[in-house]
Amino acid sequence: MSKKILIVDDEEAIRKFLKIHLVKLGYEVKEAADGEQALEQLGKDNFDLLICDIMMPKKDGWEVIKQCKSNPKMKNIPVIVLTAKDQDSDMFKGYDLGANYYMTKPFTKDQLLYGLKLMFEENVSPLQ
Amino acid sequence: MEAQDKKRVILTLRWTAIIVTSYLILFGRGRITDLHLSHILIATYLLSNVLLSFLPKKWFSTSKLFYPLVLFDTGIISFGMYLSEKMATDFYLVFFLIIIFASTSRNFKLLMVIGGITALVYGFLLHSWGLLISKEGVSYILRIPFIFIMTAFYGYIVQTLTREKHEELTISEDKYRGLFENANEGIIILRNPQGQIADVNREVERASGYTKRELLQKQFLDLLAPPEIEKTRDYFEEVAEKGEARADYLSLKKKDGTFMEVDLSMKRIDLGDEHFYQAIIRDLTKQRKLEKNIRESKRNLEAIFDGIRDRLSIQAPDYQILRVNRAVAENHKTSFQELIGRKCYEAYFQRTLPCEKCPVSLTIETKHPGSSIMKLVEDNTTLQVFSYPILDEKGGLSSVIEYIKDITEEQQLQEQLIQSEKLAGIGILASGVAHEINNPLTGIIGMAEISLEEEDSSKNKEYLNDILNCAQRIGEIVKGLKSYSRVAKKEDLNSVDLNEVLEESLKMVRLAVKTASVEVVKEFQPVQKIEANTGEIQQVFTNLITNAYQAMGGRGGKLILSTRSLKNSVEVKVTDKGMGIPQKYLCQIFDPFFTTKNPGEGTGLGLNIVYRIVTKYEGTIDVESKEQIGTTFTIKFPTRRAEA
Repeated sequence: MSKKILIVDDEEAIRKFLKIHLVKLGYEVKEAADGEQALEQLGKDNFDLLICDIMMPKKDGWEVIKQCKSNPKMKNIPVIVLTAKDQDSDMFKGYDLGANYYMTKPFTKDQLLYGLKLMFEENVSPLQ
Repeated sequence: MEAQDKKRVILTLRWTAIIVTSYLILFGRGRITDLHLSHILIATYLLSNVLLSFLPKKWFSTSKLFYPLVLFDTGIISFGMYLSEKMATDFYLVFFLIIIFASTSRNFKLLMVIGGITALVYGFLLHSWGLLISKEGVSYILRIPFIFIMTAFYGYIVQTLTREKHEELTISEDKYRGLFENANEGIIILRNPQGQIADVNREVERASGYTKRELLQKQFLDLLAPPEIEKTRDYFEEVAEKGEARADYLSLKKKDGTFMEVDLSMKRIDLGDEHFYQAIIRDLTKQRKLEKNIRESKRNLEAIFDGIRDRLSIQAPDYQILRVNRAVAENHKTSFQELIGRKCYEAYFQRTLPCEKCPVSLTIETKHPGSSIMKLVEDNTTLQVFSYPILDEKGGLSSVIEYIKDITEEQQLQEQLIQSEKLAGIGILASGVAHEINNPLTGIIGMAEISLEEEDSSKNKEYLNDILNCAQRIGEIVKGLKSYSRVAKKEDLNSVDLNEVLEESLKMVRLAVKTASVEVVKEFQPVQKIEANTGEIQQVFTNLITNAYQAMGGRGGKLILSTRSLKNSVEVKVTDKGMGIPQKYLCQIFDPFFTTKNPGEGTGLGLNIVYRIVTKYEGTIDVESKEQIGTTFTIKFPTRRAEA
């Protein structure tokens, strides 16, 4: 059974090409356009990976990660942060909240693949 | 002598004089043909003394009684002597000699001795002429005691008169002594201007610190401070020549070695052959101190007045310049004298009438302070002019202080600051903008990568469309930024649709502050376009909207943007349901650099820029706020400009 990934981003174009890449790689992909939709999806389904933007309407990515990590059912889902926030302080905040990988926009396909490899093949965060 | 004794002595003396005169008349018998006249004369004389005895005692204390008495007695006695026979010239001569002696003598005893000698000499003469042993010898003999008694009588009266005068003098001297001693000014009596001190009053003792006894052993020159002695030579010469002179600011040496400044005036007083000099000394120590204080504070005020680098002048209520400070003279490259007396508007601005916006006019009219900003086209300067009234004791306007501050540089600096505030604003926006650019940029990159891998050309077309969309959005954001940072010039004015700009501003702010749960309500009515610079209007709105978002913080809330048309204006309202502004800050929020934010979070220029832009277009801005409830900014722009 293929692994299930949730992409959360308010930018439609980003969701679109991420989905194309991931489907090609054989993953099952779901989408959410804001924080609220993301939490809704997380509640309904079991995911193997969460790729999450930070600056989004309604609920931001920090909130999504916080709730995800504080829920016993979801806390083991690996999280890749995908954001335009490129400050070190943001990156540390992300790792502190429990994110496993932090990617800043804009990024290339290779960076994405490296992230996926980290998540699924070794299943460890580079920091650990 | 008591008045009672005086009366008695006078009456007794007169009785004696009457008896002697009567004897002289009655025993003379020489030429007397009219015995009646002799009797009437004697009776009159007797009666006069009886009447005199009824006069009140106190009359005898005044000299007024004695002059008629002396005249009366002398008349009666002279007539009596005439009625007596042998009215020889020698007898008259002796009688008047006695009167002269009596009236010039100051010493009663000496007079009595002279009277005695005169009587004896006269007796001897009568004897040598053989008159005493003649048939009428008795009448001649009577002349001798007559002379003596007359001497005593006149002598006593003259003595009494002079003693009274002396007593009067004594009384008035006491008065003058009191005045002298208690005078507020020091008085020194001198025998000669520079010499021995004869008398001093208490004030001299107090001021000099010497006792009177010490002073009486000193020369006046001893009191002068050594450097003064040379200087005062002319002064003493003047006193000697003219009898009086004044000298100001002399320095006197006190007992304790310190010096005191005095004004000295000296006057010669002539008492018969004797000359005295009266030196009046006025201690100036207190006055000096006071004068020094006044001079000092005057100097300080002048220094402040001149030291102020802004232009200050004091003007009469008819704009006439009474006084200017150095800055004015320097500014007009002229001297103080050139400016004083001229009208302000004429001297400063080469005008024939007061300037239109002159605050001095207002102060002259209302007696209230005024201020205004004047732009001078000639030299491209901006002046801030303040005026303050100076009122007289009755509350009338005595003069006006005009304070001119050249704020040209300040304004330029403020422009620069505003410009840098704009840049700072861009900095704040930048992170948000970076995000918003990076998002479509990420889309572009991602889509491009996919498109490169894709062989299906129809799919590729779709991807290219996505790329185009993203790129166009980036373009829009950049355009918005450009208008934000631009400085508007006159030629940059265009017709501005406020609704459109409001929409765009909202979009820009939301890029920067994407908080989750702010509900935006837009109540836009179609409004007339205004003549303005789009960038500036956008700045106004972005500032207000950003503030509104910040006021609601992370709590979320509601932002209401509304526009509507009024009679001659367009109204824009920006309302938030944020934390509100505390009442005490409401009047300060438009001040430059006023901020309640932490250092580094806000420069305090945002609302000032808003205010300046709004007022530049002759608009108004009002604020209403309640803590914990929210804030509404209401802006009105006039529409006349666009119609014109």
